[in-house]
Amino acid sequence: MEAPPVTVMPVTGGAINMMEYLLQGSVLDQALDSLLHRLRGLCDNIEPETFADHELVYLLKGQQGQPFLLRARRSLSHPTAPWHLRYLGQPEVGDKSRHALVRNCVDVAASHSLPDFLNEMGFRMDHEFVAKGHVFRKGTMKVVVSKLSRVLVPGNTENTEQLSLSSLVELSVLAPAGQDTVSEDMRAFAEQLKPLVHLEKIDPKKHT
Amino acid sequence: MSGGPAVRVSIESSCEKQVQEVSLDGVETYVPPLSMSQSLARLAQRIDFNQSDESNDEEASSSETPWKQEQEEEEGVVRFQPSLWPWDSVRTALRGALTEMCVLHDVLAVVKEKKYMALDPVSQDNSSTKVPQVLQLMSKKRALAQAGGVLLRGADRLSRSVCETADRGRQRDFNSELLRLRSQWKLRKIGDKILGDLSYRSSGSLFPHHGTFEVIKNTDIDLDKKIPDDYCPLSVHIPSDLQGSAYIKVSIQRTAPDIGDLGTVNLFRRQPKSRAGAQQWHVQLEAAQNVLLCKEILSQLSREAVQLKSQIPHIVVKNHIISQPFPGLQLSISLCHSTGDKKKQRCPAENKPDDHLYVLEHNLHQLIREFHKQSLTSLAVPQPASGPLGPKRVRVAGPMALDKSSIAALHSSEGLLDKIIKQAKHIFLRSRTARTIDSLASRIEDPQIQAHWSNINDVYESSVKVLITSHGYEQICKSIQLQLNIGVEQIRVVHRDGRVITLSHQEQELQDFLLSQMSQHQVHAVQQLAKVMGWHVLSFSNHVGLGAIENIGNASAVTVTSPNGEHAISGTHTHTHTHTHTHTHTQSAMLAQGCRVLVQRVRGACVGGSGVCVGGAEVVQDQRWAQLRGGHREVNWSRMEGRNFIYKMELLMAALTPCP
Repeated sequence: MEAPPVTVMPVTGGAINMMEYLLQGSVLDQALDSLLHRLRGLCDNIEPETFADHELVYLLKGQQGQPFLLRARRSLSHPTAPWHLRYLGQPEVGDKSRHALVRNCVDVAASHSLPDFLNEMGFRMDHEFVAKGHVFRKGTMKVVVSKLSRVLVPGNTENTEQLSLSSLVELSVLAPAGQDTVSEDMRAFAEQLKPLVHLEKIDPKKHT
Repeated sequence: MSGGPAVRVSIESSCEKQVQEVSLDGVETYVPPLSMSQSLARLAQRIDFNQSDESNDEEASSSETPWKQEQEEEEGVVRFQPSLWPWDSVRTALRGALTEMCVLHDVLAVVKEKKYMALDPVSQDNSSTKVPQVLQLMSKKRALAQAGGVLLRGADRLSRSVCETADRGRQRDFNSELLRLRSQWKLRKIGDKILGDLSYRSSGSLFPHHGTFEVIKNTDIDLDKKIPDDYCPLSVHIPSDLQGSAYIKVSIQRTAPDIGDLGTVNLFRRQPKSRAGAQQWHVQLEAAQNVLLCKEILSQLSREAVQLKSQIPHIVVKNHIISQPFPGLQLSISLCHSTGDKKKQRCPAENKPDDHLYVLEHNLHQLIREFHKQSLTSLAVPQPASGPLGPKRVRVAGPMALDKSSIAALHSSEGLLDKIIKQAKHIFLRSRTARTIDSLASRIEDPQIQAHWSNINDVYESSVKVLITSHGYEQICKSIQLQLNIGVEQIRVVHRDGRVITLSHQEQELQDFLLSQMSQHQVHAVQQLAKVMGWHVLSFSNHVGLGAIENIGNASAVTVTSPNGEHAISGTHTHTHTHTHTHTHTQSAMLAQGCRVLVQRVRGACVGGSGVCVGGAEVVQDQRWAQLRGGHREVNWSRMEGRNFIYKMELLMAALTPCP
């Protein structure tokens, strides 16, 4: 049975179209402590939160070229917390002077039957990984410092293997479409982290 | 020199003056004598200059032969003129000088030829004094100038370094102070100004005040005058509406008939106390931060007072909030802000008792800080980490399929004003309960009431254990023990026998209840006493259904019989409120408790001496009926000996127990 046709329609999350502004960078493990200290000082004054997440990436391959990608993420440290389903669109090709990567973003909280549901819908899991690290917050900006590990046996999150000796640093803001001041704030914040980590917009198309 | 001895040339005028004329009266008019210059001129006229000029002209020649010739001519001139000539010595001296000059000239001419004479240089000593003074002066001047230059440079460097240390001393103070300030307060530099932030925004406050202060360097210090001890090179400039100090006054009063001049009276009474050792700026900044927090508290309370709908609306007047927790009672929360200007302060009358509830003020501060913390943590990071930032309940509500009531339950909706009113209610109820118990304890001596308050309370709940005992019989009669749990609006009483009674906030209810319990205690005590004394309890009732209706509670009754069954005592006890006896602590106060004790004696025991004959003619004459008890006789309880009811009862029992 051939795959059902996938109609490519613009994906919107309800009434408001939320865009994700993203800056990424990486830091070696030796410098991780100093980066965490710096973030602790710069960001809002709440207790630093660690997280351990397990992310599964689902693909829906249609007849047309591009497969449809959905990311399902659950928390390993808070097993009762709901799953988080995310769709990320193509990066907007705006003017080159915009400092952050802007793409359409739809976030949905889901119950624990999400993997089964996606399987029933026709999605197939492409790959999964475990991310562990720290989350910081400054106003509407979220900084996630995470260490990615590969899951060796599918479904078993205990045995993981580290992908690299560095951690991924992501600075992201969720804002409605059309706010360009957000990227200015992000760039200013990224400037303050400058010697430790260089956050810049990385186009995912160039790296696949 | 030829010629005679030197003639001394002296010019003197004769003392005598020539007579010019003699007047007719014999006065001689002298010719004024010649002045010196005139006499000199007269004498000079006698000199024949022409003759001596010849010899003087020949002096100019520089050859030898004319010199010889000259000499001869001079000698000839000398022969001609005798030594009487007064200028002879002058001429001789001049001639001698000419001779010497000619000789010197000749010698120099000879030396120039270098044929007959040569000049050798003369060796010079170091200590020769022949060095000309001008050179000496120049060299000394140069040496001194060099030395002076070295010294000046050194002195210049010294003075510069001294100035620098003096400057740096003050400079270092400012910087070290700034460092200390920065270690405790948030500072940032904008342009050339140093601004600080004393608001609570970083810890979760949502108050829209900017809370920025400016750090200023004190440069108006006069170095000449002595620096005062409390001089600080750094001072802070606080926004004008945060200056001074403030506190929140919470008090409970009887409801005032009108609001009065609440908005105008300055209630500030407390003087700010300064901590020793704290820097001036620290004290000022802390006070300003406190003012900001008090303003935030009041604004939050005012907002809630206006927005929330309650049964009795709250009144908000400027800096005061008035609400009514209980009927007849008024809770007022006000912000007392003194700007530090002493002239404007009007101290209110000091004779008003300080009804400021400091506990509630402290609780208000704690509540607002909790509110801050909650607003921070409600926007906690999402788990899993890729989720959007936002309140947790929004994330959770969807997947968990929560309904509206569950969502509302997730979100605590009680505001600051509600909480503080509840706390005030509880405090008031607790204090009034204590007052009730204490007034009863002081008013009534028999039985005694004891209250044991628990030290560990909640803001909304306290508990007290009330014991009702009789003096001297604590071990025997301990049946009435009440545990009172004082809540926000109600008092819950747990009895020893397991009954749970809920009383409202009315003071009268508690009082009546305690009085009724005291009355019941007496009867319980009789029961216990009977066991100890060996008497048998025939009947016991807590609530007697017969007799007159009591004001408070019900009467309780007990009947006990003596061990040999001959006597019986019946007692009832009630509490009747008779107002006339409330002030005195005499025996009559005890009699306000209505108790009646009846004694039933053995039939036919008509003792002549002490007792009274029971009755007249007996209908039943049979002896066996004599074993039954006869009628009752009331005991004059007031004239009974004994400190309290139980004691009297014991004595009565003892009196009625026959000696073996």
